[in-house]
Amino acid sequence: MKVSKVMTAKEAVAKFIGDGMTVLVGGFFHSIAYDITHEILRQKKKHLTICTPSFNEHADQMIGSGCVDRIVSSYVWMEVFGPLYSFRRAMEKGIPHKIEMEDYTNFSMMARLVAGALGIPYVPVHSLKGSDMMKYSAWMGDNKVKLMKDPFGSGVEHAVVPALNPDIGYIHAQRADEEGNIQMWGIMGDAPFSMRACKQVIVSVEEIVSREVIGRDPNRTIMPAYKVVAVVESPYGSHPKNAQGYYNVDRDFIFKYIQESRTEEGWKKFMDEWVYGVADRTEYLKKYIDTFGMKKFMSLKAKDMSSGSVNYGF
Amino acid sequence: MADKYTDFTLQELMAVAAAREIKDGEKVIIGTGLPLIGAFLAQKTHAPNIVAIYESGAIDCKPIFTPFSVADPVLVPGAAMQGGLVEGLGVVHAGDLDVGFLGGAQIDKYGNLNAHVIGDYRNPKVRFAGSGGSNDIGAGCKRTIVMMLHQKQRFSEKVDFVTTPGYLGGGKEREKMGFPGGGPSVVVSTMAILRFHPETKEMYLASYHPGLTVEDVKANTGWDLKVASDVKETERPAPELIRILREELDPTGIFLKKK
Repeated sequence: MKVSKVMTAKEAVAKFIGDGMTVLVGGFFHSIAYDITHEILRQKKKHLTICTPSFNEHADQMIGSGCVDRIVSSYVWMEVFGPLYSFRRAMEKGIPHKIEMEDYTNFSMMARLVAGALGIPYVPVHSLKGSDMMKYSAWMGDNKVKLMKDPFGSGVEHAVVPALNPDIGYIHAQRADEEGNIQMWGIMGDAPFSMRACKQVIVSVEEIVSREVIGRDPNRTIMPAYKVVAVVESPYGSHPKNAQGYYNVDRDFIFKYIQESRTEEGWKKFMDEWVYGVADRTEYLKKYIDTFGMKKFMSLKAKDMSSGSVNYGF
Repeated sequence: MADKYTDFTLQELMAVAAAREIKDGEKVIIGTGLPLIGAFLAQKTHAPNIVAIYESGAIDCKPIFTPFSVADPVLVPGAAMQGGLVEGLGVVHAGDLDVGFLGGAQIDKYGNLNAHVIGDYRNPKVRFAGSGGSNDIGAGCKRTIVMMLHQKQRFSEKVDFVTTPGYLGGGKEREKMGFPGGGPSVVVSTMAILRFHPETKEMYLASYHPGLTVEDVKANTGWDLKVASDVKETERPAPELIRILREELDPTGIFLKKK
């Protein structure tokens, strides 16, 4: 009955991510599965709708590569690190092609995903109301957000957003078993509801552990295995973002990407070097160590700040 | 105190001004950049008991280093609670929080903010990040502190896009919307401190930064800016606060960029 879903990133993307799909890209400035993202780019997937509450450079790489037609999100930027130039080029100049975006807010995106995860058809929020996000929509038209008078008589009109159930989602987590019971800790960001809202989930993890390890701390599990279709073992799969307890954010590398992506030529050079020029994550990490040295690579490793364990006895 | 702390940069002045707006014991949602430095300064000085919340889900954080991001892993060890966006912004949406920080590319006289585009939304001249949690914070927090670069095109009669409503068209317009939160209480700009009239909700000049005049601020504002009858110079930061900013909160100068 228990089937192993372990496969490579290449196999998972080829098998489960199809052109034209709506894909939830998990991770909120952290826990982003760069291994899966880069594989999507190498396999030249097309016409994707990508969604998540807030996007960083991974979205910029996808947009620049031309695999994205539509974005559903609240934010595409990298905080104090700077703007994302491929996103700006696409939105301002249609390079490499024009993309559409449905602008929400972080909370209203999350509300759509919570609704999706729980089978609630739509949900009222305090967000959006009074803003121009109510006035403008792209392909969703009137179905992006509606105003609805409180049916319980408060007299207040609420913005109502529809549940979101993406075709597939992917995220990087600390560990899972072979069947796909996922455990995550530290910043949760969009998880767990973003993943629970998806029809199918691909997870890449730092470590594959036994079902017994999962069962020893089941409160740590963010979703059970039944919707998970692929488990990819990928140490440092979230680099240059972090995985709590494994490695820190590689700020220098994020700055490097943002600097080099200022021009289209610089962006192409970066991508040829770090995405198209490597076959997989193992080659990427080897290239990283060859370029920046083992000392730099080791400096990213997380300190040991292990928690005490709890007693699940009865 | 050594002389080197009596001189200060504009960003340092703004961080100190932001810190002053936070009261001890308040629940505060913190972004990155200057607001983060301002909130940390408050925590290190007059407001040690604030509850610092990040939208990534970290609640009551006591990070040992200044975080670079709202999802920086340094926020996790020592936090009272670690969840996700549902928890971090959920408390905002529920109306539990006292203060939130906002910023943007443009602001109008009623404190409406634009973080989306310059130009036409569908064919923008410049596209920015979008709302992120900004609109949620504006709707949910009891009051908000806005930090802005003060230029005529940014302090605009009309914003190109309303990302986060302030007082909408002024007066009771915001009240009628039924938000849990009360709207912006102050704008800390690169030139001045501005507040909002209690009735009309129109922004007015409360104080101008050292080295500037009322006329300088008015000349860099895109509407006929009203001026408080008791307008004065913005209080200069105490040298001890400058020392904390430089040596404890931003030793590498990433947030308070060195001139």
